[in-house]
Amino acid sequence: MKNIFQSKNHFWNLTALLIFIAVIYFLVVPVSRVLLGSLQTQEGGAWTLENFLSFTKYRTYWRSLANSIGVSLAASALTIVLAVPLAFMVSRWNIRGKPYIIALSTIPLMLPSFISAFAWIILLGRAGIATGLFQSLGIPFQSIYGYTGVIMVFTLQFYPYVFLMTLSGFNSVDESLEEAGRSLGTGPVKTFVKVSMPLVLPGILSGTLLVFMTAVENFGVPMVIGEQKPFLAVQAYVEFTSDIGQHPGMAYALSVVLIMVTMTSLMAQRYYLRKRNFIQSAKGRPQIKELRGRARRLATGYCFAVVTVPLIPFFVALIISFMEMRGPVIHPNFSLQNYSYAFGHMARPIFNSYFLATVATMVSVVIGVPAGYILTRRRSMIGDGLDFAIMLPFTIAGTVLGIALIVMFNTGFLVLTGTWMILALSYIIRKMPFIARSSSSILYQLDPSMEEASISLGVNPMKTFFKITIRLMAGGIIAGAILTWVTTISELSSTIVLQTPGWSTMTVEMFQGILSDDMGMASAFASILIVSAIVPLLIIIGRFKEEGSSLF
Amino acid sequence: MPGISIRNVTKRFGDLVAANNINLGIEKGEFFTLLGPSGCGKTTLLRCIAGFLDPEEGQIHFGERRVDGIPTHKRGVGMVFQNYAVFPHLSVQDNVKYGLKARKVPAGEQEDRARQAISLVQLEGLENRLPNQLSGGQLQRVAIARALVIEPEVLLMDEPLSNLDAKLRVEMRGEIRMLQQKMGITTLYVTHDQEEALSISDRIAVMEYGLVRQVGKPWEIYVRPQDTFVAGFIGTTNMIDCEVMADEAGMLVARSGQISFGLTQSDGLSQGEKLQVAIRPEAITIRDIDESIPDGHWSLKGKIVRFEYLGSMIKYEVGFSGDVSLLVISYDAEPDKIKTVGQRVKMSYPIERAKIFRKDPSQ
Repeated sequence: MKNIFQSKNHFWNLTALLIFIAVIYFLVVPVSRVLLGSLQTQEGGAWTLENFLSFTKYRTYWRSLANSIGVSLAASALTIVLAVPLAFMVSRWNIRGKPYIIALSTIPLMLPSFISAFAWIILLGRAGIATGLFQSLGIPFQSIYGYTGVIMVFTLQFYPYVFLMTLSGFNSVDESLEEAGRSLGTGPVKTFVKVSMPLVLPGILSGTLLVFMTAVENFGVPMVIGEQKPFLAVQAYVEFTSDIGQHPGMAYALSVVLIMVTMTSLMAQRYYLRKRNFIQSAKGRPQIKELRGRARRLATGYCFAVVTVPLIPFFVALIISFMEMRGPVIHPNFSLQNYSYAFGHMARPIFNSYFLATVATMVSVVIGVPAGYILTRRRSMIGDGLDFAIMLPFTIAGTVLGIALIVMFNTGFLVLTGTWMILALSYIIRKMPFIARSSSSILYQLDPSMEEASISLGVNPMKTFFKITIRLMAGGIIAGAILTWVTTISELSSTIVLQTPGWSTMTVEMFQGILSDDMGMASAFASILIVSAIVPLLIIIGRFKEEGSSLF
Repeated sequence: MPGISIRNVTKRFGDLVAANNINLGIEKGEFFTLLGPSGCGKTTLLRCIAGFLDPEEGQIHFGERRVDGIPTHKRGVGMVFQNYAVFPHLSVQDNVKYGLKARKVPAGEQEDRARQAISLVQLEGLENRLPNQLSGGQLQRVAIARALVIEPEVLLMDEPLSNLDAKLRVEMRGEIRMLQQKMGITTLYVTHDQEEALSISDRIAVMEYGLVRQVGKPWEIYVRPQDTFVAGFIGTTNMIDCEVMADEAGMLVARSGQISFGLTQSDGLSQGEKLQVAIRPEAITIRDIDESIPDGHWSLKGKIVRFEYLGSMIKYEVGFSGDVSLLVISYDAEPDKIKTVGQRVKMSYPIERAKIFRKDPSQ
């Protein structure tokens, strides 16, 4: 206990406390108010479970729960089928162009999933380019609207989570473990099943859980390609916006159910991983099997197919943005009309997107880096609390966060609804944990004796943090900040709830363009977003290769 | 330049007592080593002195100044770390100047002192290199220069040589010792390597389970270990379980199985008492079976069961009836004097070289 009162820990305890209080005030309290609201049918009314009972009464509600879970589970299963063999081949076989496969695989995570959904509709929708082709060839194909489309977009968009985590699992299984298995008399296949798979399984499951959580909370894809099928995140938004002025108890109840789904899955994963944290001393990398001729070409072909197919929609979006459009109908002529419209009439949303992402990223770095430092280097009671507080935003869907922030900051002494600050706030809440986590993992690899050396030379701990720690983390922090910026400009699910006419963003405009069949404008914004994401991503891959790779 | 005094220092980690009521006085200008196996508390104690850990109890003084409770950056210690901890983003020169800048030393003086420190550790010409262009030995020199240039009250070294290869380790420990004597700086050194500790130190404290087992000059610790742990940890030793048989003619005789050992008289030992006897392998001389032995020696007869020829010395294992055997080191490596496996030999040792440890009744 003596420690807390010593000056050297004051700064950090105070910082931890401030972050902790901020998380409570800006996240826990708003979400709690949603929780309380879900237990009332009107503002200030009696406590009741009626909203939740609606799930058993009305088809829309229980379908939305079943759809969200069912579609996310299906997508999770498909990502395993797609990504685990890919990870195995890249790790263990002599596939050509491995660095390109890995680099290409990270791109879908950086691009908004609803752009992918939008472009797949242009290809495979009812009036789609490829749909027409199929039908003229006599192939019975209607369209990919509905469950098929949602599952397909989720799978192609989120498979990198499973791929990257499984890949690092396969890469870190010490060769000697497999050799030991072989020497003890199990054949190669049996050794793989008995020795390697159990060691890789935690990685596969962590990746799959990320797919599941990202899919459950996704708003844009079911909205664009789900064709009126109810989903939790979409339904919460619909109920909330249509009930403005009244007490949106049903929107709250849907939000609470959504939080319960994500929290349960996260807790299940933590429970599972707690007993299976295999620490491996990866001395020898696994042996690479030398395939020859046809086998090698086939395997390489599979790998490149998996990583390039998810990128097709983005190319399609880029190409059609240069074509002439009338509503949903594409005319195959080169034209810049979409861009002249976007830059002419929609300059404000473009500015808004960049401005909000920049502000949110800077604040996230300023808060997230010290938070990561506290998590790694200053573990104490406050540090443990902070760890939990920083986990929370991962379990709150963007739509739910948007609703909670409006409930909290609509009235009272701090009114933010309708300002740019509430948008920035939601981005910070969603992205700061990522900066904190990645800072913390950079610090794990940084020997504390560097900082101790500085302190022993007479530089106090706070100055040491700025002179040594930050300097050594710089590469990783910059890479993390760029990734944060890139994913922030594509944020849709909380933006759609919080935006106002003056503070709409590219994603909102694009989304509304899709819904009103203004494909020209949508494709122009899609292209601007894609370029805005790809350029910084290339910078990271080029300049911060090593630091960046630990962030995915 | 003050000494260090450590008074009743206790540090706990939960239920584990990492340093248990430690009392040590380190003279000014002394090279003092904390030696022990991993987990013995030596690094914990060093980190308490550096200020990275706060002891629950006790006091630490540098000379007259009480330092426990003072944060590290105000303590005036120089520290050298196991993994060098040379700042990778700063050149050799800037690493060395780092502590001077923190002390706001004028720029001109910074230059002079950095140049001196760099030449002291023989790194002239490498001032502008970045750490990734240096070898392990050079990095450790930078770390030493950086710690010395601030003219610390005490120098703390935490296993500074354990990341270097064997040859460089021996070379560097000689240099560290020379530097320390030249500067006359009070130095606390932590290592688990007993040879390193014996070669470099003025005095050594041997630690185990958070306790100081023995403090003394290297030869005192080696020749007169105070308990079986010290006897076993420093060097190799023959440890024999015995029972006191008789007290005859100024000599104590104890038995282990069929074999008797002659020991020096010791107060309060009664017949039947259990003992442990430690005899260093090099205290035993191998002789021909019919050779006579000098006065004050005790003689034993046995059969060579194993031998290892190591050039400057020979290691014999001599067996007796039962499972008992003794390790003997002989520097008499003349080819015609070498004994062969199966040969019966006589051995003798001066009885004062057999250390007696009474068995702790609690064990």
